[in-house]
Amino acid sequence: MVFNSLGFFIFLPIVFLTYWLVLKKNLKVQNVFLLLSSYFFYGWWDWRFLSLIFLSTVVDYCVGIQIEKHSNAKTRKQWLWCSIVFNVGLLAFFKYFNFFIASWVDACALLGYDIKSKWTLRILLPVGISFYTFQTMSYAFDIYYKRLKPTTDFLGFAAFVSFFPQLVAGPIERASNLLSQILNKRTFSYEQCVSGLKLILWGLFKKVVIADALAPIVDDIFANYSTYPASTLLMGIVFFSFQVYGDFSGYTDIAIGTSKLFGIELMSNFKFPNFSRNVAEYWQRWHISLSTWFRHYIYIPLGGSRAGKLKSIRNIAIIFLVSGFWHGANWTFIFWGAFHALVFIPVFLMGRNTIYKHTVIGQSSVFPSFLEIGQVLLTFAIVSFSRIFFRSPSISDAFAYIGCFFTNPGYAPYQHPSGYRMLDYYILIAVFVIYEYLIRKDERQPFKFKYKAVRFIIYTIVIMAMLLFYDSNIDRSFIYFQF
Amino acid sequence: MKALILKSGLYLLLTLVALEGYVRVFHLTKDYPSRYVDVKGVEKWRPNQSGFSVTGNRRQNFSEYHINSSGFNSYREFEPTQDAVELALVGDSFIEGFHQNYYNSIGHKIETHLPDVNVYEFGYAGYDFADELHLVHAYKDLFDNIDYVFLGLKFENDLYRDAYHVLQERMKLESPLYKNLRKIKILTYAQSIGLLDPIRNAISHILNLSAKKTTSTTTQHKQHIEAEAHAKYIENFKTLITRYGYDKDRFILVLDTAKTPQIFLNYLKRYNFDYVDVSEDLKASKRPTTLIYDMHWNNHGRNIVAKCIVSYYNNNFTKK
Repeated sequence: MVFNSLGFFIFLPIVFLTYWLVLKKNLKVQNVFLLLSSYFFYGWWDWRFLSLIFLSTVVDYCVGIQIEKHSNAKTRKQWLWCSIVFNVGLLAFFKYFNFFIASWVDACALLGYDIKSKWTLRILLPVGISFYTFQTMSYAFDIYYKRLKPTTDFLGFAAFVSFFPQLVAGPIERASNLLSQILNKRTFSYEQCVSGLKLILWGLFKKVVIADALAPIVDDIFANYSTYPASTLLMGIVFFSFQVYGDFSGYTDIAIGTSKLFGIELMSNFKFPNFSRNVAEYWQRWHISLSTWFRHYIYIPLGGSRAGKLKSIRNIAIIFLVSGFWHGANWTFIFWGAFHALVFIPVFLMGRNTIYKHTVIGQSSVFPSFLEIGQVLLTFAIVSFSRIFFRSPSISDAFAYIGCFFTNPGYAPYQHPSGYRMLDYYILIAVFVIYEYLIRKDERQPFKFKYKAVRFIIYTIVIMAMLLFYDSNIDRSFIYFQF
Repeated sequence: MKALILKSGLYLLLTLVALEGYVRVFHLTKDYPSRYVDVKGVEKWRPNQSGFSVTGNRRQNFSEYHINSSGFNSYREFEPTQDAVELALVGDSFIEGFHQNYYNSIGHKIETHLPDVNVYEFGYAGYDFADELHLVHAYKDLFDNIDYVFLGLKFENDLYRDAYHVLQERMKLESPLYKNLRKIKILTYAQSIGLLDPIRNAISHILNLSAKKTTSTTTQHKQHIEAEAHAKYIENFKTLITRYGYDKDRFILVLDTAKTPQIFLNYLKRYNFDYVDVSEDLKASKRPTTLIYDMHWNNHGRNIVAKCIVSYYNNNFTKK
């Protein structure tokens, strides 16, 4: 079930009303209901993969208890490794098995050995596997590092692992935040629900109007890049940047908004990354739940930035490579990760990786300074360039795409694949950027305007825009579901 | 909770009102002319109405229609005489031409090429061959004054029936319920952009759950079914021309031979049915001949079709 489907718009009110009107007096029953709803939500895609979520839940529930039970560091570590091996094993099999086999065959071919692999399997990728495995692992890690006590409430824990708003594409929650809310009584809050509905509306806008409207253009340009001039290729990468942002942050907003309806606050995953002033700031604003996961559970255990410059550089390189690999079983993602490591390390060495941590562009003024505009444009250009690797089906395609900038420089007007007027899209992007700038200080309040009438007009314009750009013929699934 | 439900309901209502306003102010959706069945049993548009036809979410195609006193979209009235040279175009939505301004129709284009000829367009969305022949038959006196009648025919779509009768399904659209629903512009807009498709699909999916599932068929079986259907369509054609009459000296079919099976083309040749083939010229065009959002001919496509008819006229007819 996807958020932007008819099924979800029937499912959500039913679950919401039952949750608050029928079951509000009993926390346990509420949690069981959340669990069943989440399993129904996930099983709508493919009920067979529910078994994987259930297995992951059982393993980490037991591992958590075992880690806590033992005081011996070695035994605790062994139990932690149980969780890592199991969850990474699931990922390795379902997500990376064919990649490893194909890479092995390619490597042998490079050395002159022609191997015909019979090992490649037809494996379906379970939706959201990269998200919930990381979430359950974080639980084991947190208990191991003594940041958290394990729960003995199996059903509550199962509801934490499978909580439907964030199950398939995050935010990747930490048990310290989400599990504690699930295990404690929630009370209905009108303000929280209204805030959730606003976020759902804003998320749908980003998905339907920004991501889905740009998708056919991006698909066309990346599929036929060799026939287009540099101006169109440039537009392709800029539009893809907005598409992937609209798609993923739109999903996150809907997830956070939906959770609010159930009295649960999820962590922020996006804080206007398009206004980042350097690559380090970008990573503090883009897919925050994953970046912080890698920071907490890989970067810091490896020594972080306190282990000397060389080791720090090594650690940065590791987390970016792993982050790239997390996105998918393709060299393009690894290359994308490596590219980001290369552009991040100079910022780190200059000591500018945390200077923008607590401020936003135009922090104390209405308009940004020219310097800030330049910084934002440069960062956006770097990040968008890296997305050529992210979007291309193969490394050779990515380089061929870049090569076309040189072999076919120049400008030619671009025709929308369905013949729509391109001016609409340029205006759309411009208005979106301006609006995001206006709300840049609080990602949780996209409609923070003083007057009710202004807010209402904006709601209606947002909904009208969704109708104006709605396309019944396109695939409406979210990009990050494939990860 | 009560406050949330009440306020959500209120906001929903206000939002719908605002959206209705936007759709009306920016004219984002089409107007629906009303239809009726006249005293001769012919289904057509109610005379003397005007409005706008809109296609796409963002008014990608916007055109004006004008229904004349005969009940068809045209810039002129239909008053054929014995003296003038007159052509009639009879057909479905392609001839009706709601997708272009009514003063830029195929008939008008033909008149530009043939200044001494008057062209009357009897186009109505959904007309099949039974509708067309019944219309000509019902208005025999009028059509007898017209020198040549061009009848649009799409073999795969237009020969399902062997006799004319009013399609009640289509006339249901004139029921008070539908008429009132169509007054809600946001609803017609939502329907036209496909927003209501998931609801409709879900309902039909639920209704079809109990229905028998069709089994997959082999290519051979499909070919057999297709051949049977084609034979039936040809039989229907024969029955229709026998039932309503067909003047081979004055009636000419307009068809796309690329989409017409050879068996029917052979039949037409064998029995001396004349036809204008628009397929080659449409296919040879380097520019698109249909609208981008819709399969109907665009202005360029209509120019080509008009030229095909003009060329046929010049090559074959002189004033009787």
